[in-house]
Amino acid sequence: MMDILFLLLSSFAILGAVGMVSFHQPVHSALSLILTIMALAGLFALLSASFLFMVQIIIYAGAILTLFIFIIMFLNVKEANLPKEPNKAMTLFLGSLALLPLNFLILRAFYKMPLHVNPVASDFGKIKPLGMELFTHWLLPFELISILLLVALIGAVVLGRKDEA
Amino acid sequence: MIAHTLFAYIFVAMILFSIGLLGVISRKNIFVIYMSIELMLNAINLMFVALSHYHHDMGGQVMAMMVIAIAAAEAGVFLSLIVVLYRRKKSLDSDLFRTLSQKEVA
Repeated sequence: MMDILFLLLSSFAILGAVGMVSFHQPVHSALSLILTIMALAGLFALLSASFLFMVQIIIYAGAILTLFIFIIMFLNVKEANLPKEPNKAMTLFLGSLALLPLNFLILRAFYKMPLHVNPVASDFGKIKPLGMELFTHWLLPFELISILLLVALIGAVVLGRKDEA
Repeated sequence: MIAHTLFAYIFVAMILFSIGLLGVISRKNIFVIYMSIELMLNAINLMFVALSHYHHDMGGQVMAMMVIAIAAAEAGVFLSLIVVLYRRKKSLDSDLFRTLSQKEVA
């Protein structure tokens, strides 16, 4: 059962990613990316990360990608304004050939890694232990992330206004 | 028993990361480049979560949440940059966005 779910979800994720890099229209790419994000949320659930599963669906698919599709539709890009990529298939093929050695090296390194095979505790990845971990061991990074979000907010407002000078 | 081995998840994460890197190096559409960056962040998230599951350590999941927060911040700044650049150039071609490295051709 777990195996079938894993195979289905990972093939959907890879299919969505391939569609994302190869579609011409940005809207099609964004919809294809949503498929990947949802499949990844399912993989998080298989890895017993139930809180991250919800965060992935609510924050990623619900907020970030919706904002993204909103911007694509807001810009209302015409076909003439899209970049012309006459030999896109060729560059994608050659690029994937060039990335094969990197994959080989990293996967070989992981293949030799020793693993725990004991089952995890029943509350692993639930919201309460995750919150305890976040607010004890990771308190300083958490506060720094909030400052980063504030800086990004101010930066987006400053960049987005009309220039008067 | 595929779903219980770490290697299967690492394999999927590496494929997704490579597809993202491929999109960054071989596409010109600035939207597709941005989505490829998001895809790479997601692949790294999957790797974090898989490693945290197999080491019985919640730190990986906390790290994945940090990555999601950084992706949200990146989305805000990147999208406002795209809107400004599109207003100026009326194109989504990343080859035209060279104003940081060269003098702008009027």
